[in-house]
Amino acid sequence: MDFLADGLRRAWGLLVAGDSEVYGIALLTLKVAVVATAISCAVGLPLGYFLATRRFWGRRAALTVVNTALAFPTVVVGLLLYGLLSRRGPLGGLGWLYTWQAIVVGDVLLALPIAAALSAAALHGVDPRIRRTAETLGAGSWRTAWTVAREARFALAAVITAAFGQVVAEIGAAMMVGGNIRGSTRTLTTAVALYTAQGDFGLALALGLVLLILALVVNIALQVLQGRGHA
Amino acid sequence: MLELRGVRHRYEGRVVLDLEQFTVPRTGAMAVVGHNGAGKSTLLRVLALLEAPTEGQVLFDGTVVPRRPPASLRRRVTLVEQRPILFRGTVRENLEYGLRVRDVGQTAANGILADVVERLGLQPLLRRRRHELSDGEVQRVAVARALALRTDVLLLDEPASSADRAAAGALYHALAAERAARPFAVCIASHQLEDAYRWADDIRALAEGRLSPVTPENLFRVDLPAGDGVKTVRVGSIALVVMTDRTGPAVVAVPPTDIFVSREPLPSSARNVFKGRVTGMAIEHRGAGVHVRADMGGVELVAAVTAEAAQDLALNPGGAVVFSFKATAVQVF
Repeated sequence: MDFLADGLRRAWGLLVAGDSEVYGIALLTLKVAVVATAISCAVGLPLGYFLATRRFWGRRAALTVVNTALAFPTVVVGLLLYGLLSRRGPLGGLGWLYTWQAIVVGDVLLALPIAAALSAAALHGVDPRIRRTAETLGAGSWRTAWTVAREARFALAAVITAAFGQVVAEIGAAMMVGGNIRGSTRTLTTAVALYTAQGDFGLALALGLVLLILALVVNIALQVLQGRGHA
Repeated sequence: MLELRGVRHRYEGRVVLDLEQFTVPRTGAMAVVGHNGAGKSTLLRVLALLEAPTEGQVLFDGTVVPRRPPASLRRRVTLVEQRPILFRGTVRENLEYGLRVRDVGQTAANGILADVVERLGLQPLLRRRRHELSDGEVQRVAVARALALRTDVLLLDEPASSADRAAAGALYHALAAERAARPFAVCIASHQLEDAYRWADDIRALAEGRLSPVTPENLFRVDLPAGDGVKTVRVGSIALVVMTDRTGPAVVAVPPTDIFVSREPLPSSARNVFKGRVTGMAIEHRGAGVHVRADMGGVELVAAVTAEAAQDLALNPGGAVVFSFKATAVQVF
């Protein structure tokens, strides 16, 4: 128990003192998470809308693929991406291996199925009359989609939170394609794993607390959004 | 204006609409009547350009509408569904939706909304949200939302189904006022013949997705004389006895199922007894009934009998027939 209490005391000290390493890692994690969440939702939500509202050949197969991708192991994604981005890989020329951009790509691949599959489920639940009504009132494709999305906005906010949660808590792909380089690609999760292995339990705990606070802030933001009026 | 040619529409292989020709005239008030499941709602969705028919063509002003019609074309027609739905937001935001879509300026939008709000008595509801409205109020808001768009064609699917009689009256009154202010085509689907008879210029009947040749039947425009109770009105060459307190122009209808059919006049309490000749017989789509058309001295009446009764009476085209019905069977609209 002393060991745990010592760790917590050290973590608190690092956070209060504004330790540059802790906050540097936190900022990088936030940057990667925000960019990856934004990209995966920008692609995934329209894809979810398409899957939820259009009837086309192969729709069921597409949904199966997206749902299966939800359970894709993060290390496998990291491994495949490593192969693509390594010098001998087809995308080696980009020079992204062991950069924060590589982590973003990995995170996008992991969060995209979440954004697409969960938004498809959320939008499928919207009364089909909403779409027909928007169309018959003259709305074009984008405005119709926006109107349908507004009806499911709380569910879609939860989808974005889930995507953010996946990205911020992900470690496998970040470790493999980011390389856990200090000051460059070290994220909260990879840092926690490293410092725990090195025995610096206090620092690992401090970073873990920051991770929890990040998740908490995002969830509180969602609740505030959900609390603003109904219907 | 809107025309369907050779339209066949299927859901999961089943034909739900089968119309060789169907036209919504430019400024007419048309009613499509039929039982639930007759295909009225499907017809309106096809006319609203929301669904492309499985086969056939939809024409707008003589031009074939593509399977995915452009928004500019869709904006010339609008539909209020049988169970309309409002979007999130206030009634006012709902009323403004279609105007925002059309980039109507705020000042112009305010003017248009003031008109429809007054016509449909929506002022007290403007700040309410959908869960604070009754079904009838939702229906009224949905009609107002459509009317505000001033489309060339307005399609209404059972627009008064959730309204009480007063609200339904207000709704039809608002429609009439709008039509008096500007010409546009209205097509209303209803299973309530009364609504259709009351205000439409043209009534079409739909049965199992097809235009029915036998309904609406026995519908006549008359001028009711003053006085209460039993009245006699001329319909062509025959005198129809009706029971009503109304006076002036009206539409009367004799439900075919209320007509008693025989070969010879029979002693009864019926005040309307007409002798004539059978001009045609049509078996109803659903089977057991037969619609018997008869010429009663220049006026055609239609009666509905069972197939067995038609057989027992040996009814045949050209044969003599007597139709009898009570004065109270005549509906006045």
